[in-house]
Amino acid sequence: MNTIGKPISRVDGKLKVTGSARYSAEFDMPGLCYAVLVQSTIPAGRIAGMDDSLARKAAGVLAVLTPENAQRLPGAEKRLSLLQDNQVYYNGQPVAVVVAEKLEEAHHAASLIKIRYSVSAPKLDFVAGFPSSHPGNHNGEPGDMSWGDVDGALKDSDIKIDQVYTTPIHHHNPMEPHAAIAQWNGDELTVHESAQDISGHRAKLAKLFGVQESNVRLICLFVGGGFGCKGPLWSHVPLAAMAARQVNRPVKIVLERPQMFGPVGARPRTHQRLTVGATREGKLTAIRHEVHAHTSVIEDYLESSAFPTRVMYGCPNVSTIHRIVDLNLGTPTYTRAPGVATGTYALEVAMDELAYKLNMDPLQLRLLNYTENDPQTKLPFTGKHLRDCYTRAAERFGWSNRTREPRSMRDGSQLIGWGVATETYPANRRPASALVRFKPDGRVLVATGTHEIGNGIYTIMIQTAADALNVSPDLIDAQLGDTALPPAPITAGSMTVASVTPAIQTAAERVRTRLLQMAVADSGSPVHDASVDEVDFKDGLIFRKLSPNRSEKLGDFIARNGGQPIEGIAHVEPDETLKQKFASHSFGAVFAEVSVDPDLGPTRVRRVTAVYDVGKVLNEKTARSQFIGGIVWGIGLALHEDSHMDARTGRIVNENLADYHVPVNADIGEIDVSAIDIADTHLNPLGARGIGEIGITGTAAAVANAIYHATGKRIRDLPITPQKLIA
Amino acid sequence: MIPRSFEYSAPGTLDEAVALLQKLGSDAKILSGGQSLIPMMKLRLASPPHIVDINRIPGLDYITEKDGFLRIGALVRESDLERSELVRSRFPILVDTTSVIADPLVRNQATVCGNLAHGDPANDHPATMLALGAIVVAVGPRGERDVPVENFFPALFTTALEADEILREIKIPIPPPSTGGAYLKLERKVGDYATAGVAVQITLNNSGACTAAAGIGLTNVGFTPIKAVKAEAFVKGKQLDQAAVKQASEIAAGESHPVDDIRGPADYKRDLVRVLTARAIVRALERVKGGV
Ligand SMILES: Cc1cc2nc3c(=O)[nH]c(=O)nc-3n(C[C@H](O)[C@H](O)[C@H](O)COP(=O)(O)OP(=O)(O)OC[C@H]3O[C@@H](n4cnc5c(N)ncnc54)[C@H](O)[C@@H]3O)c2cc1C
Repeated sequence: MNTIGKPISRVDGKLKVTGSARYSAEFDMPGLCYAVLVQSTIPAGRIAGMDDSLARKAAGVLAVLTPENAQRLPGAEKRLSLLQDNQVYYNGQPVAVVVAEKLEEAHHAASLIKIRYSVSAPKLDFVAGFPSSHPGNHNGEPGDMSWGDVDGALKDSDIKIDQVYTTPIHHHNPMEPHAAIAQWNGDELTVHESAQDISGHRAKLAKLFGVQESNVRLICLFVGGGFGCKGPLWSHVPLAAMAARQVNRPVKIVLERPQMFGPVGARPRTHQRLTVGATREGKLTAIRHEVHAHTSVIEDYLESSAFPTRVMYGCPNVSTIHRIVDLNLGTPTYTRAPGVATGTYALEVAMDELAYKLNMDPLQLRLLNYTENDPQTKLPFTGKHLRDCYTRAAERFGWSNRTREPRSMRDGSQLIGWGVATETYPANRRPASALVRFKPDGRVLVATGTHEIGNGIYTIMIQTAADALNVSPDLIDAQLGDTALPPAPITAGSMTVASVTPAIQTAAERVRTRLLQMAVADSGSPVHDASVDEVDFKDGLIFRKLSPNRSEKLGDFIARNGGQPIEGIAHVEPDETLKQKFASHSFGAVFAEVSVDPDLGPTRVRRVTAVYDVGKVLNEKTARSQFIGGIVWGIGLALHEDSHMDARTGRIVNENLADYHVPVNADIGEIDVSAIDIADTHLNPLGARGIGEIGITGTAAAVANAIYHATGKRIRDLPITPQKLIA
Repeated sequence: MIPRSFEYSAPGTLDEAVALLQKLGSDAKILSGGQSLIPMMKLRLASPPHIVDINRIPGLDYITEKDGFLRIGALVRESDLERSELVRSRFPILVDTTSVIADPLVRNQATVCGNLAHGDPANDHPATMLALGAIVVAVGPRGERDVPVENFFPALFTTALEADEILREIKIPIPPPSTGGAYLKLERKVGDYATAGVAVQITLNNSGACTAAAGIGLTNVGFTPIKAVKAEAFVKGKQLDQAAVKQASEIAAGESHPVDDIRGPADYKRDLVRVLTARAIVRALERVKGGV
């Protein structure tokens, strides 16, 4: 088979468009009842009293969980708000749970609970928190890292840029809200959860409830979008399990849209100061990227915005610094291209500012500072073809027709602007396992505990197995999203394909070898007595290479041999020494054309052209969707997305999709994406580096730079709303 | 996200509906397209004890021209307006308006009459109807009455309708020849309510001057939809050259009363009114001359 790379349609596409794909809240079971969260209405303080007497008496109510009566869970992290104490750390924190026969009853009862608070002064002023901010790390990588002598180099630089760029709080807003159904059977807990990390959640739940991991099972067949917010475990899942234990029935909890703006993560606000020095010829001499980002008062999360600055350009003196500001808000978390989306915005706008100061083409400036090696470690990249991305994208976009001066391009009354930015995202890979099974009915099963978050992994799993086994994809079924399957890592960090496909390949190789060994040993087989090398398996047939006509169907073979499935299981670890030899990142170049109405201010992104170097593209169609989705996110970052926090109460004011704006089809112009498509086999055998996040990186900067080119106005505070352009 | 419980009736005739309303008084709310009422109920901003669904009443989905008026029945959806040949050819300003309301899914349900009856200054039709000099036909236990749309919006989310009245029809005078109109709206993104919107309708006389029929309406820059009467008075009898357009738009901006909110500061919105008014007048003039 040769399916890898082909634009194969999603195997789950039909299920999804016909509504038959089952999402986590869509499971029914006998005795299922409903829980709703009661949330705090103050940002900081203490619950002084809670009167749940009316709620308890309300129709259908089975239980009311409060800090008074909730099961004690030793070791429960504060961030999980599991009703372990009376403290309130942010507005919207879960403070009680009502369980009832019907959802409507639970709702009604929840509205009857009266809470008295003792309010403390909240920390909600981000900038005021800078003096007491503190360092942190992101996934174990230190927030602060420097090389060379930045201060010295800046002093001697011919040209300097020193600007502050800010980005607001974002909420992920997947279509499918968080949802969980928890069910206990003795000491065994089964949870249907919309999750990006079933193994991780299983481990945490087991620890919380003091049971063996093997006693906890998580199931998640489809995720209706996660974008990072379904990576960590949030309160509602253990709360559902606590409720289920208390009422001794399965309990379902589905967050409402407004509840998605508080207790389940956000992209934190960032304040990024970039100081860039260069020679008159445009060679970078120094970059300082200093980031402030917020977290909650209960847990550190670091938005690693300066990380991309560590790899993007050849620069001898670089300093990347992060400081975290504690606020009385829900804990922020990973959001599509965490750190990199916000960081590339700042860095790539600063580069544009530098280009203008140098009177140089912004693309030229980037080429001039191109680096073949990781600028910090000097290690070579596992593969880097960014130069080709620039060239190809510039050509497709028509960049050479750009006139340099701001406000120099027009279409009727509209100002036209063209902007460019570089994109990057680290190539990640983690250990993963998979099984491939030949089934008695002649079909093949490929399975691993990964997650279909819209990334197309069901399809990629089948393609990988099809090619590894020489079997038509039509004969293969894929299974995922179940901790009963061999475990896979969290679906995040654009690493699913890089992690999971090697495990599938190895498992496929094992089951195939196993099958051929059994076949040559089987006296009833037409390949009996041949050596394993002389026989082959293809499209469901076992045969001799030299006489392919002497063959047997897989199903017939299994039937004759006891009717039991044949299975290969593999656990594959990435080569940890790779990091000592190589740096591994994806790159891309993105160009945007905007039109701006000079009197009213709205920006329209007319077209975006991007070319990516992401290693081997495994499926042209699903890859295209990922790139486009990323670019649309980048446009949202540039122009729309903005969670407005009420400065006194710490509540998000626009906690709905009418007021929290994400672009829709009608907001989006033409998008032209392609990939260099050169396999990066250092990272994994298929040479794929993952594509889920790179599209959002750089895009906001390309749009912002295009807006500057159109209008001559440099807006350094996202989103770039009409009003900021008119002011 | 779940409304409080309510009683539900779906009368089959207008008379039945009116009788129900009379009986229930302010306990009842009419449901037409449901695109404003249902979201408010879900968010519990409104909790009417009784819903009177008028969707089953036959014969209310007409768009016709009769006795000098374009008549839009209570169950005409926004999408009907977009598709109507009569509207497309004679009232491009209505197509301007409907096509910037929400998204196609909402427009398939939402009614034009509901858009007025809701009394929301952020809704788009009120400004257009003000510019067009439309008349609202209300039917109640005391029979039918005509309410000029300029008297229809006394206060925020309040209309001239009594609790027992149904907005049965909107009547728009058929404009004389040499008339043109346009509605322009600035939205933060596709599907959003207006940051500001301006509707302009003008008729020119033989010498090319603006007749007394000029209408200018403003969206979402005050507690009610605003009829820019001073700007209207200013343009009457004038040749709308560049200077006049500029002056008219400044007068209209002065008639707006926006407030600071998530869509922007008041000054910015006032300036939007100025720019949009000028553009809408120019657009309307183009349409007088047969432009589209
Ligand atoms: C996502 C979204 C975006 C929107 N964006 C816009 C926008 O950009 N611009 C815009 O103008 N509108 C917008 N709307 C509102 C939409 O146009 C509404 O549908 C409209 O305001 C009300 O019409 P309806 O038929 O849906 O009325 P309903 O929701 O059924 O009723 C609204 C109110 O009017 C009353 N009512 C309705 N019909 C009558 C009648 N015949 N007689 C007496 N009272 C009546 C009801 O009792 C209720 O109080 C949006 C709606 C949604 C859901």
